Parts: sequence; C-alpha cells; structure tokens
Amino acid sequence: MTNRREGPRRRAQGELEGLVLEALGEADGPASAGWVQERLGGGLAYTTVITILTRLLAKGAVTRERSGRSFAWTPVADQAGLAAHRMRKVLDGESDREAVLASFVTSLEPEDERLLRELVLGTEPDTKGTD
Amino acid sequence: MGMFVFLPLILPLTAWPVARLAEQHLHPRTATRLLTGLAAAMATCSSVSLGLLMVVGTAQLPGNPLPDGWSDPAVRAAVPYDGIAGRLAVPTLLAVVAACARTGWRHRRTRRRAHRALAGLPTTEAAVLPDDVPYAYALPGGTRNRIVVTTALLSHLEPAERRALFAHERAHLTARHHRFLLTVRLAAHANPFLYPLRTAVAYTTERWADEEAAAAVGSRRTVARAIGRAALVSHRTTPPPALAGLTGFAAPGPVPRRVAALLDPAPLARRWPSLFTAVGMAAWTATAGTAVSAMSSANSALNLALVLHAATPL
Repeated sequence: MTNRREGPRRRAQGELEGLVLEALGEADGPASAGWVQERLGGGLAYTTVITILTRLLAKGAVTRERSGRSFAWTPVADQAGLAAHRMRKVLDGESDREAVLASFVTSLEPEDERLLRELVLGTEPDTKGTD
Repeated sequence: MGMFVFLPLILPLTAWPVARLAEQHLHPRTATRLLTGLAAAMATCSSVSLGLLMVVGTAQLPGNPLPDGWSDPAVRAAVPYDGIAGRLAVPTLLAVVAACARTGWRHRRTRRRAHRALAGLPTTEAAVLPDDVPYAYALPGGTRNRIVVTTALLSHLEPAERRALFAHERAHLTARHHRFLLTVRLAAHANPFLYPLRTAVAYTTERWADEEAAAAVGSRRTVARAIGRAALVSHRTTPPPALAGLTGFAAPGPVPRRVAALLDPAPLARRWPSLFTAVGMAAWTATAGTAVSAMSSANSALNLALVLHAATPL
C-alpha cells in the first residue's frame, strides 16, 4: 500500500526536475534561479527551485558559475540524460537484478572473449554479402 | 509417514541430469517450461515436508500455540529421529520463508525503481538512454513493458543487429520470462538442491529469446553477431564483472554457447523427448522423482493429519 502512495509523489519530483531542465534549455545562455522560477510560474517557491537545481547539479545534469552574489545555471543533460543517470543508479544499486531485468548479454570469462571473437569473426564474410 | 517425509527434501537431486542435458538437447521453450515446472513442484513438496517436520518439532517446545495432544508420543513416533529433525526444521523453514520474502520484495523494488527512472520519457516501447555504458534490458511492467537500451550499445550494432536486439528483448517480455526466472529463484531458496535448475533456466530463457529473435529477423547469423558484438563491447567497457554469479567452470560461459547454438541449425520443437535418448532418460528420471516427491509429501501430510486428528481432543 505504501508503494502506491509513494509512487506519484516521487514521480512528481522527477517531473519537476524535467520541467526545470526544460526551462533552462529555453534560456539563451546561463540563467538565474529567479529566472527559472518566473519562467515556470505555477507557484513554485524560490527555495524549491534552488533545491531542484542543486539536485540536478549533483546528478551532473546542470553546471553553475558564480555571477555576482548568486549562481547562473546552464543545462548539460536533457530528460533522456537524466533518465539514463537514474537508471544507472538503479542498476548499480541492485546486486541481484537478473530476476527482473533480463540483460541482453551476461559477463564474459577471459577465455570466452577469444572464443567469441573466433565465432563472430567467422560470421563476418556473411555481412558483406547481405548488408 | 516414517521416512517418506524426508524423501521430498533429497529427491530434487533427480533433476540434476535433465538440468544438464536439457539446454543442449531440448528446444529452449520446452526446456524452460519443463525445468521451471519441475523446480516449482519439487520446491513445493520439499516445503510441505519441512512444514510437517516443523509441526512435530514445535509440538515438543514448551509454550507452543499448538494443541497439547499434538506432542503425543503417537505423533512423535510418526517421524523417525523426530527430536533432531523437528528442531532443525523450524529454523530451516523460517530461513526459507525469509529468503523467499526477501527475493520477492527485491524483485518488486527493482521493477518499481527502474520504471521510476524512466518517468518523464515518452512512453514508447523502447527507451533509448544516452549513456556511454553499453547495456540493454527488458523491463517487464504489466501494461507497459519496456526495452531499455543505451546509445553506446546501439552505436556498435548494425541496423539488422539492432533489430535482432529488440526482437530478443521483446521475446523476453511477451513470453514473460521474468516469471520463470523468479519461480526458479524461489525454488532454489526453498531447496538448495534445485540451484542447478535455476542456472539452467537462466540460460534456456536467453536461448528461447534468441530463437524468437532469429525467427523475427529471419537470420540466425545476425542474432549471433549482435550477441557477440554486444558482449565484446560490454566486456571492454566494464572490466571487473563484480555482479556476475558463480560461473567459474572450465566450460565456456553462456554467451559463446548461445552464439555457437545460433550458428548451428535451428532446434526441433519436439514436444517430449523419446525415452531411448540420454535426455529422454534424464527427463523421465526427473519426472519420476517429482511424482515420488509429490506422493511422499501427500502421503506424509495425510498420515500426519490423521494422527493429529486422532490426537486432538475435541
């Protein structure tokens, strides 16, 4: 039951990050947090925008530079980049994920690499004919 | 019930030969279903036996919530070595339940987290993530199954190989392979003797998806090449496979075996192997083992129920 309640809230957080990123992307050059807040409208508190921007900074999705007494923010990643970052965290965090996520290939033993190269190379001439 | 109650605990050993032979000699679809079915049946019987032993075991503990009549000598006499067996059964069954609950919970958590990570992306079947680590996953999600691929992996594959990759992942999702994988995982927790079946099913589901992909793309070589390239690229970028399971045997690992199988002709989709082949013998041995296992646990359960019924003052 807790999962169901937790789900929408967390997702809203992810969406908020996406919205902030999108707004930053529309700016010409670095933008201030105040500018982002104005751009988003929708009654977001200034501190909320700062929190989201700081979180994005930790994820490597934005960079910032000092301008005067505040920071100017520049986007690095887009929505997809952010999703990639989140997915990497999930994959790194789960030690036994095989039951859920059937991966395309599993890891190779040292001897496997040589064997595989021979097998794959054996199929190469076929490519030139068909592709 | 006598010694019969112990049989289901060791009869999973009869499934070892077929776990070894099925992956080479049966169609991967048949092998997956057969091995998962055997694992589920044997794990259930083994857990029933543990439960019966536990009833007798706990009946001797002072302050248990069971009726007094259950610690009657007649009940105890139903299990040989009831003292040791009963006391061992209690922690064992608790450990089994805990391990299964943990696996089930983690399974759900991984799924939920992975879906949440993709929130905000367009809800297409394939989610292509810009990442320089090459990987591809099939993420089951009830109504919205998704295929997660990184740009790094796609950039190393030719168009036909990309189609093979997507066909492979789609096959995992449409055939619901995650359910087979979860079943054999839980079975291996219930009885560690079933562990070889878990390893075998992990391989046969991959082979099953490979065969489906080969049929969808129309070329076994393309699928073989896609797997080979993807494995070599992943290997180069992620040197220490810290998360890999215990696959340290002298035989080649699963990936080269899959590629080699694809370079061979397609397997025949025969429904049941003949008794007069090695794999047929192994399959029938395992089936007989399962049947004996089921009969033993049913027999023991019935016996104990009768004894307990007679011993319960009502």
